[in-house]
Amino acid sequence: MITFGKGNLRVPKLSRDVYIVAAGMTDFRKFYPEKQTVELCLEAIRMAVVDGLGMEPKKFKEEVNFAEHSQFADHFGDQLLAAAKNHDYLGFDPIGNCEVKTGGATGGTAVLEAIKDVASGYASCVPVIGWERMDEVNTRQGIDYIASAACKDFEYPLGNGYTTYYGLPMQRYLHENKPLRETLAKIAQKNHHYARFSPYSQSPGDYTIEQILKSNVVSDPLTFLECCVMSTGAASVIVADKETAFRLTDKPVRVLGMGAGSHTLRTADRINMPILLLPNETPEMYKDWIKKDWPGFISFLAARFAAWQAYHMAGIHNPIRELDLLETHDAFTVSDIITYEDIGLRPYGRGAEFIESGEAYLESDLPPERKLPTNLSGGLIGTMHSVGATGIFQVAEIFWQIRNEWEKFHADEKYWKKYGKTKPEDFKSLQVPDATRGMAISHAGTGSHVTALILERGW
Amino acid sequence: MIPSDGAVKLAKEWFKKEIPADLLVRFNPREIVHAHSYGGLSKFFKGLTEGALLGTKCWNCGGPEGNIWLPPRVHCPTCWREMTWMTIDPTGAEIYSHSTTNLPGAGFKGTVPCPLISLKIPKVWTWPMSYLSKFAEDEPYIGMPVKPVFRKKIPTYTILDLAWVPID
Repeated sequence: MITFGKGNLRVPKLSRDVYIVAAGMTDFRKFYPEKQTVELCLEAIRMAVVDGLGMEPKKFKEEVNFAEHSQFADHFGDQLLAAAKNHDYLGFDPIGNCEVKTGGATGGTAVLEAIKDVASGYASCVPVIGWERMDEVNTRQGIDYIASAACKDFEYPLGNGYTTYYGLPMQRYLHENKPLRETLAKIAQKNHHYARFSPYSQSPGDYTIEQILKSNVVSDPLTFLECCVMSTGAASVIVADKETAFRLTDKPVRVLGMGAGSHTLRTADRINMPILLLPNETPEMYKDWIKKDWPGFISFLAARFAAWQAYHMAGIHNPIRELDLLETHDAFTVSDIITYEDIGLRPYGRGAEFIESGEAYLESDLPPERKLPTNLSGGLIGTMHSVGATGIFQVAEIFWQIRNEWEKFHADEKYWKKYGKTKPEDFKSLQVPDATRGMAISHAGTGSHVTALILERGW
Repeated sequence: MIPSDGAVKLAKEWFKKEIPADLLVRFNPREIVHAHSYGGLSKFFKGLTEGALLGTKCWNCGGPEGNIWLPPRVHCPTCWREMTWMTIDPTGAEIYSHSTTNLPGAGFKGTVPCPLISLKIPKVWTWPMSYLSKFAEDEPYIGMPVKPVFRKKIPTYTILDLAWVPID
């Protein structure tokens, strides 16, 4: 679709207020043979219910009237209808459920679907449980399974790996926008660093820019340390209506805005169109854009559309000023820098400024209204990409931040010990002071599905 | 396929760590064949084996000139009408972007290095993906002129029957 009709640009509206009331997750590992998928899912939801709500699981289940399950690929777990197995294992039968599949954005979509379940009035308490079991096959087979999300007729046989599919936009981005190569590496450096303070993380570390740029090239120009991890693990959030939310917790987090966009599965098919402007953009900003292709390879229309919906719904005009933290789907450094532009943190072509200005860093000396700490969770590069869990993990981290509970769930020695890890001696708090609003971007394929979710303090 | 007494040793190698003695890991091998029909796109894949690059055009939505879909689609995504097949003249084609992998997935049929390329072709409004089967030092690069080559003798009946090489 190139031209929009009135119906296409209708701003979404929920029929009633919806809240997130609890979150939980497992740690994330390259290999997790110690536990079956259903065991991991149980741990994630039990953490949300027991550690989060302080409730007995049996009492909590008396509240539940629908459930959303989230898994990217049946291939990985080698079990079709895995949601039924999971739902049964968690003892939710005969309550209805749905398994969501939108590629890498599966987790984000599952949360959005749960919000719709509640907003419609159909349900009042919906657990969302996501996972991916990526360790049953070797890495090369895993890459192949993921690549089979690309068009099997025209693109899968050629690239056979998403790092290569993202290598194309990266070459093009470097060619058209000419950022410093080091700026992209800084994104990886930041997220590996923040992952050091998460007991759940798979790839924590402090790396120099040189180490990142000189690590093995997976598909040029992307290096190993600039790519997301392949994880096994689970994450969960609980979505509820107002009455249930305030009965279960004093501090529920409210849904302020949300959006979902899509674009051609084949990157080849992204024919040119006029730029869809966000509330903080004007046509003058792009008067020279005629020289470049849009969306082309250097933008994700799906992310732009999702942000357009979410900002209009939330009434946001200046995302950096009006949001306190952000979780992006940093599958690769290049997809992250493009996302900054798609969601209007900078005009197209200038995403590097968001990193170089210090706005993306919690530690920056900038005043709070001028920064937007991004991926304090460690993101997909530093902490996890257990695909079906990823979008849920992002929401969980934002939920904890808004409730001022980042330290409760990251600093407590009990979580580090639980996962057989040692808390770093130089541990620091990544709690955003007075965090009120946060946004999560969940992203699939080379931008085939993207969701945006804006949450705010609900009490 | 895997001897029962070998599973413990293999599991340790697989998971790259000590596996607790009470943990049981089974290896499930698999070999599957899918009979995949190209349906209305068969014309395109047959065309490759005859040295022709075929695309489709919607006269209803694509204007009088150019705007050809490659990869082709049988139906126009805008008006859902059947489009018209046409032979694409690759003269003037150039590399729009590229990436060369060192770590392809298990299903990769090429040999490494095998640059993945996206193409800009006159009168085509998409950026078709393919690969470069011949290249020199410092190639590929964005803007590099290329021409198609076809696997006519022993076709695979996949998109791999089409590759691109430098013009000179």
